[in-house]
Amino acid sequence: MNEFSLLLLAFIIYLLTMLTGFLFFFRTGNRMRRISYYLGLAGFVLHSLSLVRRTVESGQAPFTTMYESVSFLAWSCVLAVIIFDRKFRLEKTAPYLWLVVLALMALASSPALPKTYNPLVPALQSYWLWLHVSVTLLGEAFLAVAFVASLLYLLTPDKSHRPANEARREKLDLLAYRAVAVGFPLFTLGALVFGMIWASRAWGRYWGWDPKEVWSLITWLFYALYLHTRLVHGWKGRKSALIAVLGFLAALFTFFGVNYFLSGLHSYV
Amino acid sequence: MTSGPWKFLASLKLGLGLLILIIILSIIGTLIPQGQAPEFYRQHLRDFSGLILALDFDHLYRSPLFLSLIFLLLLNLLFCSWLRLPAKFRRLRIRDESLLASGQPPAERRDRARLERWLSEDLLQLAAAFKKKGYRVRTTGNEDKKIFLARKSRPGLFGPELVHLGLMIIIAGGLISALFSQRISVALTEGQTEKIPGQTFSLRLDRFTTEYYPDGSVKDWKSLVSVLENGQVKLQKTIEVNHPLKYRRLGFFQMSYGQDWDRTELGLEISLPGVGTRIVNLKAGETREAGDNLMVKAPGFIPDFAVDEAGRAFSRSPEPANPAAMVEIMAGGNQVFVGWVFSRHPEISRYQRSTLPGMKVNLKSFSAPPFSVLEAAYDPGASLVWSGSLLLVLGLLISFYLPYREVRICQRTGQPPLYLVYTRKNPAAFRREVDQLLGLTGQKGSKDKTDE
Repeated sequence: MNEFSLLLLAFIIYLLTMLTGFLFFFRTGNRMRRISYYLGLAGFVLHSLSLVRRTVESGQAPFTTMYESVSFLAWSCVLAVIIFDRKFRLEKTAPYLWLVVLALMALASSPALPKTYNPLVPALQSYWLWLHVSVTLLGEAFLAVAFVASLLYLLTPDKSHRPANEARREKLDLLAYRAVAVGFPLFTLGALVFGMIWASRAWGRYWGWDPKEVWSLITWLFYALYLHTRLVHGWKGRKSALIAVLGFLAALFTFFGVNYFLSGLHSYV
Repeated sequence: MTSGPWKFLASLKLGLGLLILIIILSIIGTLIPQGQAPEFYRQHLRDFSGLILALDFDHLYRSPLFLSLIFLLLLNLLFCSWLRLPAKFRRLRIRDESLLASGQPPAERRDRARLERWLSEDLLQLAAAFKKKGYRVRTTGNEDKKIFLARKSRPGLFGPELVHLGLMIIIAGGLISALFSQRISVALTEGQTEKIPGQTFSLRLDRFTTEYYPDGSVKDWKSLVSVLENGQVKLQKTIEVNHPLKYRRLGFFQMSYGQDWDRTELGLEISLPGVGTRIVNLKAGETREAGDNLMVKAPGFIPDFAVDEAGRAFSRSPEPANPAAMVEIMAGGNQVFVGWVFSRHPEISRYQRSTLPGMKVNLKSFSAPPFSVLEAAYDPGASLVWSGSLLLVLGLLISFYLPYREVRICQRTGQPPLYLVYTRKNPAAFRREVDQLLGLTGQKGSKDKTDE
């Protein structure tokens, strides 16, 4: 099976994962949840195979074009969802996360993103490409989990003061924090530290206020704000969730927006 | 140190305000094109150009406003750590007297009794239970006081300070880089030697090659260079993008490349009806005898030919997209041909004048010696940035994954037992966990005042 058939299969299985996850809302018992979990795992294996195929065929890292990067981000999100589901039981949050995965998969396979291999320009030929991009995207995947949890928090009505809603909101708030606690160090290491090391090796300077650099710093500052208001100021809930949402929007802009709206050294894809 | 202004400099309020302002300014900096001439702003951003130029937002990240925010952030980090560290060390070396002065008795009588039992009869069992969970336990027991203190992940207490220290070192490194780093561009053709300004050594380019992918895009540039000191070769190395040369305190980076078009070798094909065709090879700027009493001259070469509004020829780019040579041919002292000949478009004769009917001149070949542009960079702030980054990442890991935890149960004889549970990350959950371990019914936790 070629890379694209594997990707299509993974997409279909992710779709089923999400649907069984939503079915779990209406059923009691854990059966649907377990089915959904194993489906997700199967999709992840197929998706991994697709990435491996592309890597072997192109002979370069599977995140050098926009199509590859989005597919890899989707893969990282799946990894984040599976890890968090195992550790913290995502329950009703899981299908919404799969929705994000599906959106990324749809974007990756859309005809707007060319599927051809691009030979690497000299600046990208470095093992730092592997470290910088993979760790950054993995970090962003966890930040995506925090984004979804925070968004759900903001959308869960609090006027009724139903105890079930309260408990759910508390869980979402904690889930968002835990995801930031994983995503933030990864993002710091991958985007900023590895980015600086690579820049200094390729261009002889570790920081040049290039728009992509500035926007990853802005993203980082948003999450610094999130952590300080939360851990020192004791903010929780609404305000925290709002900052986590803004932070992820900044991350999205760093990933997509800078390439299309602002020009700079990072305009490779 | 704890008076008004100092307290404000150390405050979280200032820190948060600075973070927000830095975010806003950074965003503005990515929206306004940076580093353009004042004219550019007057032309394209007419209404804002006055403000942009007055605030130095044409180089925002070096503007006094932005730099003073960064400096304030540095002070904020410094004072924040300065004010908080003593309390953290006090907590680390906490004495029995302080332990007995904080904490609260549990509200429920049943819980009080349970704690008293832990302290008196089951102290060893309690210590063992906490040790099993990875805690370090300290117990004191005599006639007038009983103390149980269990602590875990003590380095975690300093996680935030480590992060802040890392950041301060990074900012200091950045400041040093901004003030003292140097960059010099060195362009070398093969065989050329150039002395590096301010250094005792020279650099010679021995060989420069460009490698291509099958589709024609550039795969790599390789500059084989020799470092010469007092005429002796000290080192030879191939510099590529991502593979710089380090020598003394300088790094040499492959930045760009080009061709020295002023030294282009031209191959001209001259055909005259009745006489025949001949190839003349000459350098741009040279004059050459071509037989049959012909003198060929090539006064100029343009790699990417275009004509401006005034009718002057110029090069649109340094790439050989539309190569053209100016050719002048004299026959017996009379000019018989003058004009531009095009390599890609031999049919264009618009820019030519000839007095010999049927005379044709073609630009058959051209080659210019390639040169390599290397950038010598000296950055004394970089090593600080690397050490700061290491501390930053280490600090984050410690803060998130080694959170400090503390449990205290103390009792002065004749008084109710005091109970205190402390951690910064998710204290409610930790409190529940410890309550369960101690077999307490659970209640609202008391606030720990040790830090304040």
